[in-house]
Amino acid sequence: MAQAGKFADKALQLLRSYPRVALNNLKDMPGAYKKNFNKRRSAGKNKTHGRGHKGMGQRMTLPPLGYEGGQIPFHIRIPCEPYYKDHEFRRQYPPFSLLQVQRLIDMGLVDINEPIDLLTFCNTAHYDCSIEDNHYGVNLTEEGADTFQAQINIEVQHASEQVIAAIERNGGVITTRYYDPECVKAMSNVLKFLKTSTPIPKCKLPPQDAFEYYSNAKNRGYLADPEDIVQARIELAQKYGYELPQISDESKKELLLRKKDPRQIFYGLEPGWVISMKDQCILKPLAEEHKEYYAS
Amino acid sequence: MFCPKHIFCRVNSQNLKNLFTFNAARKLTTTGILKAEDKTDVAGELETTSDPHLYVPDRPPLPIITSRQLEYPSEHLPSKQAWLDTMATLEDEKLGIVDLHPKIFGTYPRLDILHNNVDWQRKYRFIDYSFARSRAEMPGGGKKPHPQKKTGRARQGSIRSPIYFRGGKALGPRGPKSYFYMLPKVKRVHGLCCALSAKYAQNKLIIVDSLEIPKADQQFLEDLIDVRFWGFSVLFVDDSDIMPRNFSLAVNQIPHFNAMPVYGLNVYSMLKHETLVLTLAAVEKIESKLLQILYSAQKEDVKFEYNE
Repeated sequence: MAQAGKFADKALQLLRSYPRVALNNLKDMPGAYKKNFNKRRSAGKNKTHGRGHKGMGQRMTLPPLGYEGGQIPFHIRIPCEPYYKDHEFRRQYPPFSLLQVQRLIDMGLVDINEPIDLLTFCNTAHYDCSIEDNHYGVNLTEEGADTFQAQINIEVQHASEQVIAAIERNGGVITTRYYDPECVKAMSNVLKFLKTSTPIPKCKLPPQDAFEYYSNAKNRGYLADPEDIVQARIELAQKYGYELPQISDESKKELLLRKKDPRQIFYGLEPGWVISMKDQCILKPLAEEHKEYYAS
Repeated sequence: MFCPKHIFCRVNSQNLKNLFTFNAARKLTTTGILKAEDKTDVAGELETTSDPHLYVPDRPPLPIITSRQLEYPSEHLPSKQAWLDTMATLEDEKLGIVDLHPKIFGTYPRLDILHNNVDWQRKYRFIDYSFARSRAEMPGGGKKPHPQKKTGRARQGSIRSPIYFRGGKALGPRGPKSYFYMLPKVKRVHGLCCALSAKYAQNKLIIVDSLEIPKADQQFLEDLIDVRFWGFSVLFVDDSDIMPRNFSLAVNQIPHFNAMPVYGLNVYSMLKHETLVLTLAAVEKIESKLLQILYSAQKEDVKFEYNE
């Protein structure tokens, strides 16, 4: 983007002695446009244009790439190892480090007196989450774990043991939580979602292969037994050698205990409600079958 | 009414905002809706003297302003400085010095970015109407011109074949065709910064306190620009589209001097005109708008599409 500084000043100093920058003396970078050319006619110079005399080379009828003269080719001879099989359907969790979280807090873009979740990250515009790329939320990574100092109530989609220890060492609370693509879409651009005036979606339960992760107390899963989580917190503190700080402040305690319902995606708003931006009001479902559908 | 003694107060970096409030108040009095008698008596505007060339403004001793508080100053770069001129007098009188933001007025002059902007401004509104009829769209040509065989001539099927004189055009232009596309916002903002920096570096950027001139006189404006060597073409930019009356009447008669509000500022016009004249209020607005876009993390949401 716009660069100013030592080199810019030097260039501007040179510009002083040059003719006026005007419409007649502008040009694009050399090589900005790639020119396609016909290989047979215009490439090269001499009479054969570098293609030699006669045969498949000159006539562009060479065998296809990978053909080994009749021998079974490499790509058929060697068995397939499908590392990337079904990659287009796999869940992706774009990483976000503890250092970046700390930076957002220091810059005042994230308020630590409110619970932090995917919505908070997306609203800062410093984190990208798009369902087109199969993004399912944030993977909180360890970078900056040693210097992390905020006491927060955070909800992420994936976190390692070290990250959980870093948060809990400072007296914070971390939860791992699954959101289905519809919810991720609503949270990634919340203004766009609210303008559509559609009911807030009911969050689905995690798929079969993710259910174990989110019901494990070691991962602080949102479907785990709360008593197991208390035990896991103590165990992790012993493993990493820190003491879980006692929280005396009532308001802080209230913040740290705030938790969403497994079906809920926005704090304070329940699934099924319609937010009308135009009329500045909330419409709640009245029909019994709707209530039944959106019930947790 | 033009009455400079009410305008100019002793200004330093702290009470700079007072200057703008004065300017705003003054503008209201001079540029409100014109009454019927105002229209008939243009010369009646002038209170002091009939000859604007000899006009002497009443103001405190110079310099009036020596620095300007930047809204978001750069931590590492010193601010750029420029003279503050006035258009109240014929001769060039420096009212003081103002600071300019280095990220806006000291950008690396990327000529390719300027080229991209100018190219886009030329293309996005251009519609190519050129059109040529194909052999199917031309009249006639249904009958075989001459028999297939035994005439000794080449075989032909239609007199509208592309190889015929007055035949149809093969693969000709099929207008109207739109060349609309949208340059990315980043490049548009970068282009504006580059153009302002290039103007500043080449001494073609003038900053004035306001566009007030003593009389609605075309000759006075031409003389003023001659005396100060501002060149053949000048672009005046003010913060809003309601400009001082005297100035508007004078500049309206001269085709190569143009006035523009900040919201119309663009790379093409800046490079087309030899000199760019900004009012202090315009500088303030340009800086705040460009810095806001430069430093916001918010992505461009609107997408422009053209479907043929």
